Amino acid sequence: MHDMSAHAAAHHAPPSGFIRKYVFSVDHKVIGIQYTTLSLVAAFIGMALSWVMRIHLGWPAASIPFLGTLSPNGAPGGVPTPEYYLSLMTMHGTIMAFFVLTAAPMAGYGNFMLPIQVGAADMAFPRLNMASFWVTFVGFVLACATFIIPDGPPISGWTAYAPLSAVGQVAGPGQGRGQDLWVLSIALFCVASLLGALNFIVTTIDLRTKGMTLSRLPLSTWAWFINAWVSLLAFAVLLPTGLLLLLDRVGGTSFFIPGGLVVNDKLLPHSGGSPLLFQHLFWFFGHPEVYIIILPAFGIVAHLMPTFTRKPLVGGWKVITFAMIAIGSLSFLVWGHHMFVSGMSPSMAMVFSVPTLIITIPSVIGVLVFAFSLYGANIRFTTPMLFCLGFISLFISGGIGGFFLAQPAVDSYLHATSFVVGHFHFTMGLSAIFATFAGFYYWFPKMWGRMMNETLGKVHFWLSFVLVYCVFMTMHLMGLTGAVRRYSSYVADFMVPQIPTNRFMTVAALLLGATQFIFLYNAIWSRFKGPKAADNPWGATTLEWDTTSPPPFDNFGGRQMTIHHGPMEYDADASVMQTSPAKSIAGT
Amino acid sequence: MSSNQEPGMGSYVGIVIGLMIIVGIEVLLTYQHLPVRTLLFSLLCLACFEAFVGIMYLMHVKYESPLLFWTIFPATLFVLVLLNYVWPDAYRMARMSLGK
Amino acid sequence: MSESELTMSTGHEVLMEASPYRIEKKKLGMWIFIVSDACTFATFLFGYGYMRVGSQNWGTPFDFPTILNGIIMTFVLLSSSLTMLAAVRATQAGQKPSANKWLGLTITLGTVFAILHLREWFKMFGEGWGLFSNPTGGAVQFGACFFSVTGLHLAHVISGVIALLIITRGYNRGRYDTSHVETAGLYWHFVDLVWMFVFPMMYLMNAR
Repeated sequence: MHDMSAHAAAHHAPPSGFIRKYVFSVDHKVIGIQYTTLSLVAAFIGMALSWVMRIHLGWPAASIPFLGTLSPNGAPGGVPTPEYYLSLMTMHGTIMAFFVLTAAPMAGYGNFMLPIQVGAADMAFPRLNMASFWVTFVGFVLACATFIIPDGPPISGWTAYAPLSAVGQVAGPGQGRGQDLWVLSIALFCVASLLGALNFIVTTIDLRTKGMTLSRLPLSTWAWFINAWVSLLAFAVLLPTGLLLLLDRVGGTSFFIPGGLVVNDKLLPHSGGSPLLFQHLFWFFGHPEVYIIILPAFGIVAHLMPTFTRKPLVGGWKVITFAMIAIGSLSFLVWGHHMFVSGMSPSMAMVFSVPTLIITIPSVIGVLVFAFSLYGANIRFTTPMLFCLGFISLFISGGIGGFFLAQPAVDSYLHATSFVVGHFHFTMGLSAIFATFAGFYYWFPKMWGRMMNETLGKVHFWLSFVLVYCVFMTMHLMGLTGAVRRYSSYVADFMVPQIPTNRFMTVAALLLGATQFIFLYNAIWSRFKGPKAADNPWGATTLEWDTTSPPPFDNFGGRQMTIHHGPMEYDADASVMQTSPAKSIAGT
Repeated sequence: MSSNQEPGMGSYVGIVIGLMIIVGIEVLLTYQHLPVRTLLFSLLCLACFEAFVGIMYLMHVKYESPLLFWTIFPATLFVLVLLNYVWPDAYRMARMSLGK
Repeated sequence: MSESELTMSTGHEVLMEASPYRIEKKKLGMWIFIVSDACTFATFLFGYGYMRVGSQNWGTPFDFPTILNGIIMTFVLLSSSLTMLAAVRATQAGQKPSANKWLGLTITLGTVFAILHLREWFKMFGEGWGLFSNPTGGAVQFGACFFSVTGLHLAHVISGVIALLIITRGYNRGRYDTSHVETAGLYWHFVDLVWMFVFPMMYLMNAR
């Protein structure tokens, strides 16, 4: 019997006072809501940036309202300069990839739900959890601050390739203070993510309640747990990459800056560095990052679907879980497929291309499990379920594009075209966001104790679903015709016929943006005025639905939660809670 | 805390002295005018051995649950092995600067 | 399977699944952190390797006095691991004065390491070494790699010393117990382990 400290008890006394309860709270539920709120704010900022970009692409000479006031240098008269367009693109990617997609489904929902789903009173390290959020918050503030400094945000993309990102102010607007702030922002995000991953791992391993064996964990918990390992190893490499970049920028080192580089007519004193090294180190993190974004989405869909199909997933917990483990592990072997045309050693192209194709296998297995689980199901088409169905469609659509990009020969044509942009928006921006919406609508009653409006939810879904295809499937076609990404305008004759298509995409994108306000209105209104939610409004089986909406301070009101079976182990037609003794279906 | 019988303090002194001896061997090898690749390989092997001894004994993993070893080690080794993918480009950089 | 009990503020005892690793969550947390930190150090070292392989004129500038200083630093750090082990054993046996003695020795040895390191750094600065300057005319990356890798390690040593000071104080005031000292010990041994790589790679490989 080992020495269990009684100190944990001291952390669980309910806090008093506004600051301890809602601001500097160690309660994982509050922290989860803080992360989710931060992501929501970030999402609207990121979306607004995309509107500006899209208007400019459709109407390059148009003056965009408020832009001239925000940045007189970057957008004189409201028309973005090519550099400022790149700034907008950089921050759109950075804010969306990090502060929305990495934060919301993992840190947001995971923080709120994981301890409850394993039957714990809080995360393993509540104060570390609080620190993680506030470090993320500071990172976000720094990212937003790039807009209000005189020189504006960096222009090097969310990928911040050296040498552009490494040479400093000499490269032009945004590359001085803007890039510094960006690096610091991302470095802080790394630290917060590492600490968060640590918390998730230890909580899942050590704080499971009686009877909650690993085989009985909800699939969303499995997804967060696997994702925490991927995050841990990936962010551990991004952090030093950022530090090396910072050293190049402020320390005069030449890790990533080659010799003889002339920037803006100035010969730089650096020598001996390798921009390719930056790409290797960045994408070592960057590829697992996209799986860090999608794994919680898989988990959310796997978790929600049985509730709304009233039957277990095909293959039970094992197929999806092992698919996720395979995806998480393989994700580290494929990063070079972002570098096929970078000048990387051609023999390495093969080394990366093969695992890239292999990783499609567990991904396809996962999505097919979802699709086949619909067969013979008694589907309840609630808003969360609609978003899950949307996820399946979007992930398949986006995934198919990946097959083309995985082949170096085809990729040498498609690299840096809108095809890639369409691909990653489908897989990351759309599928993951739809899964996030599914989770939002699903868990809203638990988090706030009120139901969201179903009609508004359905309108939000259908409009979004149609419009995302309008915008991003068209983007694939544009890429095939040679539309180059990250270009703010038309530089060649062959691009002129693309303008009407661009305008179509812009209109669709603006409508898509407007649709999200339906969601926002629904969320805010329901928070205060929505009908009160029962403990288990969806008829689900996992622990979070076995307590009040919202849960009490220690999650279960002091009750001993003893688990008798997995979330999908129940008799036909019955959806008994995990805590109720029940016969399990053989072969699940 | 331990599942096996832990060694006494004397054994730990022996282990640390052993590590110091390995450091001494490393220094001796350094001054043998070996080719760079051979020296690097030898030093890395010795360092890995030292690390393994440190993990097993100093950090007590030998006396912990085997699952701990099989979780920590493969995860770390995975990243360490994969980072080796950068070498082809490092050597290309060397060849290219020689004009090849 | 044995079950752990966690006393909650409600006074109820909550039954949980036992940890499959059979170690306390603090220690598991420290191990997970060590995994990530090992990957971070590895990235720096691989970056150094890449720079070195890719450069034409790396050079091996370290004379024997520098290597000797490195050897002494290594022995100091190894000894501090030994004293840390002794400290952990003393806390496990409940012997506070003995634990304090060994903890104090570990802190002292760690500080000695840091001082020796900084002395060497400042000597190198005086000779013209810097993040982007190489007085021997060799690759400018040398300084960048050397100071960033050893700097990161030094930061870990200094943080470790500060952490040990805090833990020692807390242990004496009854706020911290054996598990805290063990967890700190894990970190300290990790820092020593990293030096087992840094010393050969940064010093011996650059010896003249």
